[in-house]
Amino acid sequence: MITTGRILLGLALLACWEWGHRVAGNLFVASPMEVVQRLREIVEDGSLWGHAASTLWITALGFAIGFFFGVLLPFLLDQSERATKAIEPAVLASMGIPKFALAPLLILWFGIGDAPKVVIIAFMTFYMIFISTFSGLRGVDHKLIVMAKIVGADPMKLARDVLWRSLQPYMFAGLKVALPRALSAAIVGEFLVADKGLGYMIEHARQMGDTTGVFTGIVVVTALVLGLNWLLERLQAKVMAWRPKDASVAH
Amino acid sequence: MHKARTVLDRVLVVAGVIALWQMASLSAGAYWVPAPWPVLKTLWAMAQSGALARHASYTFQAAAWGFLIGGLPGAVLPFILRRMPRLSAILDPYLVGGYGIPKLALAPLFILWFGIGIESKIAVVASVVFFLVFFNTTAGVRAIDPKLVQMARLVGASELLIARRVIWPSAVPFIFAGLRVSTPYAIGGAVIAELISSNRGLGYLVQLGAMNFKTVEVFAAILAITLIVIGANALVNGIERRLLRWRPANALNKDAASGGM
Amino acid sequence: MNAAAPLLEIDGLGKRFPSRDGRSMSPWVIQNLSFSVKDGEFVTIIGPSGAGKSTLLNMLAQTDAPSEGEIRFRGKPVREAGARLSPGLDCQIGYVFQDDTLLPWRTTIDNVLFPLEAQGRLDDASRARAETLMKAVGLNGFERYYPHELSGGMRKRAALIRTLVYDPPIILMDEPFGALDAQTRVQLQEDLLRLWEAGRKTILFITHDIAEAIALGDRTLVLSRAPTHIIGDHSIDIPRPRNLRDIYAVPQFAGLYETIRAQVQ
Ligand SMILES: Nc1ncnc2c1ncn2[C@@H]1O[C@H](COP(=O)(O)OP(=O)(O)OP(=O)(O)O)[C@@H](O)[C@H]1O
Ligand SMILES: [Mg+2]
Repeated sequence: MITTGRILLGLALLACWEWGHRVAGNLFVASPMEVVQRLREIVEDGSLWGHAASTLWITALGFAIGFFFGVLLPFLLDQSERATKAIEPAVLASMGIPKFALAPLLILWFGIGDAPKVVIIAFMTFYMIFISTFSGLRGVDHKLIVMAKIVGADPMKLARDVLWRSLQPYMFAGLKVALPRALSAAIVGEFLVADKGLGYMIEHARQMGDTTGVFTGIVVVTALVLGLNWLLERLQAKVMAWRPKDASVAH
Repeated sequence: MHKARTVLDRVLVVAGVIALWQMASLSAGAYWVPAPWPVLKTLWAMAQSGALARHASYTFQAAAWGFLIGGLPGAVLPFILRRMPRLSAILDPYLVGGYGIPKLALAPLFILWFGIGIESKIAVVASVVFFLVFFNTTAGVRAIDPKLVQMARLVGASELLIARRVIWPSAVPFIFAGLRVSTPYAIGGAVIAELISSNRGLGYLVQLGAMNFKTVEVFAAILAITLIVIGANALVNGIERRLLRWRPANALNKDAASGGM
Repeated sequence: MNAAAPLLEIDGLGKRFPSRDGRSMSPWVIQNLSFSVKDGEFVTIIGPSGAGKSTLLNMLAQTDAPSEGEIRFRGKPVREAGARLSPGLDCQIGYVFQDDTLLPWRTTIDNVLFPLEAQGRLDDASRARAETLMKAVGLNGFERYYPHELSGGMRKRAALIRTLVYDPPIILMDEPFGALDAQTRVQLQEDLLRLWEAGRKTILFITHDIAEAIALGDRTLVLSRAPTHIIGDHSIDIPRPRNLRDIYAVPQFAGLYETIRAQVQ
């Protein structure tokens, strides 16, 4: 019943799209069939892979850098209550910096290569991972640490079996938010400056008045992000089977 | 005594950041990294000439309209869907999917549809805000204690009364959380849309400075946006705290990931 | 090694915590506390809430440093002045905490095996021992459950046998059966006594419940309000094995109960 409804709704949305295409015309809404056609073309001539690879590469690079510092800094701050108190408001305030607005500046500094985008992605990832690691470290149950020491766990065992496992839910929460956002940051970054990548593909098509290109690009990007979300969700369910299921979460 | 030390530490951190900035400027050259003082002077000049206010009000308008157009349905829809479990089950995967779509990536589409004027910026902001508010409010509606509703029904309260007296008050904190989380996204979304294509607004101001190779202006514009975002955050936090004074402080759920844009 | 020395000696122990702002010390929680425990003795300790019972066990378990005084294990001080704490004293002292300390991401059996794993002593024999213990407390069938899928009483049992499984000579227990219903509680008390009689460990058992203190112990210590010291040291001369369900009917019970109650107040 519900599944049927979902399928029907999906079909209705597709029909709406087609109808929109007929009403608004080719310039505003591309035809679904043409989008499928275009999709096939760019898969076949390989240009999709080139763009996707370039986007994924800067995403991975920026994410890795941001992730590294986002995990490192909380561990360093954890050593000193005083340092934490001193730096915390500055870090929070710096979150107000509009990351994308740095793009023109970064382009002036680093040129129009990958560097500006990587910096922006790293920046965004850093804050999200920083916050989740930071609250994760504060959330580690001190008693579990004491218990592990009493039964003879050495520092390695302690780090692996208590600290790391306690951090995991926070890490995943951070990851689930940060990784798709890093990807969309890469795409927005490519809107602003690029000569390849999925964002470039979309923005270039828009500037050319190629509506089908814009729609195709957006379909690809949406599928990519949703696929990423799904993957993370599966991974999380697998790794964290030990957690009580929370009945009140949205899905 | 401890407090004083913390305050001193914080002042030192700020001083350190400014000193680093100054040093970076000296070593890289004022063209690449303008020093703090000229940036402040430029910002002040922008404020005096009215340019800042003009561009900021444009960005603000886009953010505010988008906030309204996206936030209102986002806050109301969960209450309607609560009464229709089947419809809401059907819609669920689409809404979750919509939440996951990178809305900023839709900007070119909106520009295509609405042109480079304010409408496309409003559309970007609205699409971002809608999902944030919708999911927070839904969480609130679902968190309502079913026992309370049952109790109200048992004593003969009408559905309208239940909605007004039981459901609404318990959902308000969540709606607010949604609005609070959305605020930086609303401003950020407008700025990004302006960066991509515009001839006005704070995002354009940054872009303009860069096009003229005036790094001082770029810095000043970025500083202005940062201050505005921080100010807007403080404002909604303040409003929320006033309106929800009756709640225990830690019950205000803080969004861990609002470091977004 | 001094054969005459008791297993554990607590000598002039005192504890005070730094105040919140870290600039001064708060009043003494424990002061001038002395007693000793013989090998194989089951000592129950009773005292008002906030007396510093958990604080005492923390110091014995070496997870917290005394502010003054000394603790000796088999005649030797457990810590040279200024040396680092060694929690659990090299797995000589087991500790069943007042609250839940199962690792939520491990199943029941993996929680029970955790100490053996940490000590590198996991083999077929120790595994078999863990299974026997699980069975003894009625946890068989729940090996693959996560802590959140167990009842409160089951979690307590799992925590208890996690400590028993690696066989530390001394076990500290901080109100292990505090929040349980009467039925489960007697059940667990019986389990505990059976296991203790089989292995004859030394147990320090904290409780709020006078009847429980009498029913289980060879000896009951009564603590005062803070600053805590000992105000009563009673030998419980009820023969073993004891029938816990009828402990009230034992002739010595009423007298002991009255004396201890008078001191607790
Ligand atoms: N880490 C700490 N810092 C400061 N004060 C502490 C700390 N731990 C315990 N205290 C104080 O020491 C006193 C004794 O606490 P403790 O937990 O030992 O009591 P208790 O006898 O175990 O009580 P209960 O029966 O309620 O468990 C209390 O006043 C408590 O506030
Ligand atoms: Mg206690």
